[in-house]
Amino acid sequence: MRQQPLQVLTVCGVGMGSSLMLKMTAEDALRDLNVDAQVECTDVSTARSMTPDVVIGQEMHTQDVPDLAPVVVTVSDFLDRDGLRQQLQEALSEQGWLP
Amino acid sequence: MSLVDAATRTGVQDWREAVLTSAQLLVDMGSATQGYPQACVDVVREHGPYIVLTPGLALVHARPESGGVELGVAVLRLDGPVEFGHEANDPVDVLLAFSSPDQSAHVETLSTLARALGTGLADRLREAGSAGRLRQLVTEALDAN
Repeated sequence: MRQQPLQVLTVCGVGMGSSLMLKMTAEDALRDLNVDAQVECTDVSTARSMTPDVVIGQEMHTQDVPDLAPVVVTVSDFLDRDGLRQQLQEALSEQGWLP
Repeated sequence: MSLVDAATRTGVQDWREAVLTSAQLLVDMGSATQGYPQACVDVVREHGPYIVLTPGLALVHARPESGGVELGVAVLRLDGPVEFGHEANDPVDVLLAFSSPDQSAHVETLSTLARALGTGLADRLREAGSAGRLRQLVTEALDAN
């Protein structure tokens, strides 16, 4: 089960800089995949009280919230739209969440 | 409209000095308080080197309540990179520091910067000859929005 539109959370330490840049990249990548999604950014502590379908962040943060969402995507380059699109395509496809 | 400044440095010893130097530009132009540079260092010490968000580039910042006064953007290019301890994105030679007075004032500016970085801004900053040219490149990128 997933929410409609897909709820995506980008996380970082402070929740207002790096995760905001990742949010931009994620929005572009999800648009490429024709996925209707709502993307929010936050810090990893606040993230624990949320219920997203997808979490995206660097390993040092996603390892803190491994069970927060059905899909957890770990990226090292927050500006790599093509790389993130490929990772999301694979992960969302596994869940049957691609249009 | 955000305040913009830029500098180049040689001989920066480590990531702490690089972070402090970039954030001090924000203090010097009045967009952050004296305590802000150390707060930016503390973010990395507490949360890890995640601010190195793409190869070679760090987004230096702290929370608004740590000393953000006005929206400001500062670029520091190191002629001699430093290691942050990031397993994928080290070493770093471009630091983008920003300050924001609240949780939302910076959103548009950072979104614009993200787009510019996606179309090669970091490499243009690496090729820039002077601090003046660096400042011009960032100002142009922000005005393009």
